[in-house]
Amino acid sequence: MAEARGLNDNDLRSISERILQLSEADQCRVSIQSGWRGYTRVATNRITSAGGAENTEVTITSVFGNRVASTISNRLEDDALLQAVRRSEDLARLAPPNPEYLAELGPQNIVPVSGYYDSTGALAPGTRAEAAAIAIRQAEVANQIAASYMDVRAGSESVATSSGLFASHASTGVAYTLTCRSPDGLQSGWAGDEANDWTRIESQRIANDAVRKCRSWRKSDLDPGQYTVILEPTAVGMLMLRMLNSFDQRAADEGRSFFSRPGGNRLGERLFDDRVTLFSDPAYADAETAPFTADGQPVERQIWLNAGRLNNLSRSRYWASQTGQPALPRPTNLIMQGGNDTLAEMIASTRRGVLLSRFWYIRGLNPRTIAYTGLSRDGTYLIENGRISRPVNNFRFNQSLASMLQNVEMLGPSVRVAASENSSVGTPIVVPAMKVGRFNLSSVSDAI
Amino acid sequence: MRIPPIPNNHRASVTDCGTPIHLASEVSRRDFMRMLGAGTAGGALLGAAAPVLPQNFGDLEKALLLNAIDVAMASGADYADARIIHTRFEAVGTREYTITQVQNTDSLGINVRALVGGSWGFSATPNLNADAVAVTAREAVAIARANDQVAPGSLSLAEVDVYPDASWTTPHSIDPFTVSVDDKAALLLRANEEALRVRNVSYVTSSILSVKEQRLVATSDGSFVDQTLLRINPSMTITAISADGREFQTRGSVVEPAGRGFEYVLGLDLVGNAPIWADEAAQKQFAARVDPGVWDLVLHPSNLWLTIHESIGHPTELDRALGFEANYAGTSFLHPPESVLGRTRLGPEFMQFNGNRNEFGGCATTGWDDEAVPADSWPIIADGVFVDYQTTREQAAMIAPYTGNTRSHGCSYGQNWQSMPFQRMPNVSLLPGEEDLSDDDVIAATDRGIYVEGRGSYSIDQQRYNMQFAGQVFWEIRNGRKTRMLKELAYVGRTPEFWNSLSVIGGDSSYFLGASFGDAKGQPIQVNAVSHGCPTSLFRRVQIINTA
Repeated sequence: MAEARGLNDNDLRSISERILQLSEADQCRVSIQSGWRGYTRVATNRITSAGGAENTEVTITSVFGNRVASTISNRLEDDALLQAVRRSEDLARLAPPNPEYLAELGPQNIVPVSGYYDSTGALAPGTRAEAAAIAIRQAEVANQIAASYMDVRAGSESVATSSGLFASHASTGVAYTLTCRSPDGLQSGWAGDEANDWTRIESQRIANDAVRKCRSWRKSDLDPGQYTVILEPTAVGMLMLRMLNSFDQRAADEGRSFFSRPGGNRLGERLFDDRVTLFSDPAYADAETAPFTADGQPVERQIWLNAGRLNNLSRSRYWASQTGQPALPRPTNLIMQGGNDTLAEMIASTRRGVLLSRFWYIRGLNPRTIAYTGLSRDGTYLIENGRISRPVNNFRFNQSLASMLQNVEMLGPSVRVAASENSSVGTPIVVPAMKVGRFNLSSVSDAI
Repeated sequence: MRIPPIPNNHRASVTDCGTPIHLASEVSRRDFMRMLGAGTAGGALLGAAAPVLPQNFGDLEKALLLNAIDVAMASGADYADARIIHTRFEAVGTREYTITQVQNTDSLGINVRALVGGSWGFSATPNLNADAVAVTAREAVAIARANDQVAPGSLSLAEVDVYPDASWTTPHSIDPFTVSVDDKAALLLRANEEALRVRNVSYVTSSILSVKEQRLVATSDGSFVDQTLLRINPSMTITAISADGREFQTRGSVVEPAGRGFEYVLGLDLVGNAPIWADEAAQKQFAARVDPGVWDLVLHPSNLWLTIHESIGHPTELDRALGFEANYAGTSFLHPPESVLGRTRLGPEFMQFNGNRNEFGGCATTGWDDEAVPADSWPIIADGVFVDYQTTREQAAMIAPYTGNTRSHGCSYGQNWQSMPFQRMPNVSLLPGEEDLSDDDVIAATDRGIYVEGRGSYSIDQQRYNMQFAGQVFWEIRNGRKTRMLKELAYVGRTPEFWNSLSVIGGDSSYFLGASFGDAKGQPIQVNAVSHGCPTSLFRRVQIINTA
């Protein structure tokens, strides 16, 4: 078995200790990110770039009283580390006091999570190229043009404080996405997977799906309007990724969020369809994340929405101290409980609606309604009388995600999706396909 | 040594409703302390020395680069280039009366890019020693060779002059890294304090991000370029909440990033302007809802620059047009090159867009690019017609038959030592009109319209047709005058029709540069900093929607 990528636990510990010993500050925190990133990129049916690099970055946070500053450096030689420690101390001495600063944490009860898969960590450039070649060959046979990207990461991270905390975590991640286009530029299809474990990436299925989508999607005109929509899991994931940012209690308490109510927040209120349950769990299989935050707080399984009810909001340590509640870190992944409806059943149950494959350029419009805009891409179809009747133009949506979660009609099984627009390994998102009523497709996009 | 010309387009900035604020071009450290006011930061201000950061590159780094090129060529590369890049970031962030972030980032390494046949290989290492660099150079060649075996090909690089001993530094009078973090924090906290004096203004965040890139580039053609690039990004976001807590509005994007020194930040007068921006946040709560439909639109440069970025900058990137970005950033409606170059009309006769890497204060301004091509300035849209793309050396050769241009426009950039350089956006600017119309003159040419300042929520499709752009502050124009404030609206359109509706543009006196540090492209994703200059401009009959 190949040696795991990134510094091992002993090295993380010893570098952290060396830095803590060099520190002359009242308090000090050391975070280390160490790892490797490899990638293979295809465009115009050729590999256009491939490569990889290892790097280790150390973040040193120095504290005098409540003056705080940090320095990040990738230079690990003794004199460079000393210089970095002194620089963070110099900065901290100059920094104005931060009254919201709370003392560094001591040892915490952190339940370890194993998120490192050798299948990913030992993935060779040749294996990446083979996956790329499958798609290129398949696209060529179909007279299509492939553009793909495989992003692979493997490494370790740690946090240590002068108060005796040390925690470390190793992880891997891989995202593989493929876009196939017709030579005349009038058709496009996409497919992709994301996982911690390379063996879950289905290169052949991705090639099949992207080629099939491209072949089937040559648009015809459809007017904008309010439609029942069926969102494939990737489309749902790209929207739910935005929900992740909305569970902040301080924003709610301060009147800046959907979860605000005059004089407080809406904890405990039933706000969405009762089939909507959202949780995060750093140990969730193949969506694992570090079980601690950058400052060393334990991250545990947490239910944010429970059967449509707002169950929790995240609180920084400072906001927790102001409100007399325990601190609760932000979610590090997001899992939406699925249902048993298949995509075929959703289509069959729809008299008139639109099937959406994925989205692009999603941007916030209004945090009070969790409203976003964005565009459909790579596969948009009209459904009539229980079947896909024809491929149609892309749309821009202007849609409140809160309303969307109130209008849920059917849910499929949950799966991990490649939810980031740039196809890098991102925050793990596990979501179902979803049928939703009254979704605002507000204007036509001519893009293909 | 050759220093690219600095065009005389350093203009006054307009950051509030019609009151021009002159950018002080030379502000000394002493002026700075006077501007902050005695006693603001106590004695600490005078005594505070900025931490001294290590060094300049010297013979050692040069030898490493030349060795990297030699090893790559000896290993069978047809062409190679190598870079040592040292990037430093410093972020100082505040919230209301407190500091929230002081962070310094320091990253140094070397990379090698090698061409074998028609394929590139790239490798990078943080270890600046001869052995590690030789391994990295050989690996770059091995990757290039392996990629070429999957699909053998050839690739020609546009001709370039050789610059064996070139250097360039962003023009500046105060290196931001010589200004201490407490000076920066004091400036921000004073500005916050001024904003918080305004009724109903409850929250303010502000920050200054400083960047210094030291870049050495060597090519197997024999060029060697040593550059220091400075960029600075001040920002401030002000939130007003009504007394009953039911309405909240923010005013952000009040100032722009620039490829300049700290004197630029001082010239913005954050402290003096904070109450004006805060007042706008407070007024927004009581602003009227727009009557959706067709309106004339007057876009201030603080809004128009991002519209240019999205709808002119991106579709004129040649790699997008050719499908190289199809899996992420998308393609372009300006495709295929042979059918659109010199043929596609995108605007009226007076509409001129230049791509450039030499505009004073531009975030993409440099002396040479990552392939040691000197900074260029060229027409992208001439007399309203699309005439050229943004190119690197390999790309220039691809379209030379249609443009007649045999040389690269110098758009190669990699975000740091770990990142392979590729085509990135230069400054793309809308040139001011021949007649020197002011902001007020353009407003006066509008009977019923909406005046937009600042960038809001921006979204555009992957071929750059369907745009939906918002702003920070909206004013209704009636009979040539700004009347009441509007809120929560966006303009929507289709790029060719939108630009063809351009009917009046301002002159020199309304021209300035907006910018972003966050232009994203590529896989792995890389960010690029870029500016867009433009005058206040009037667009006829644009669709307006209510986003509330």
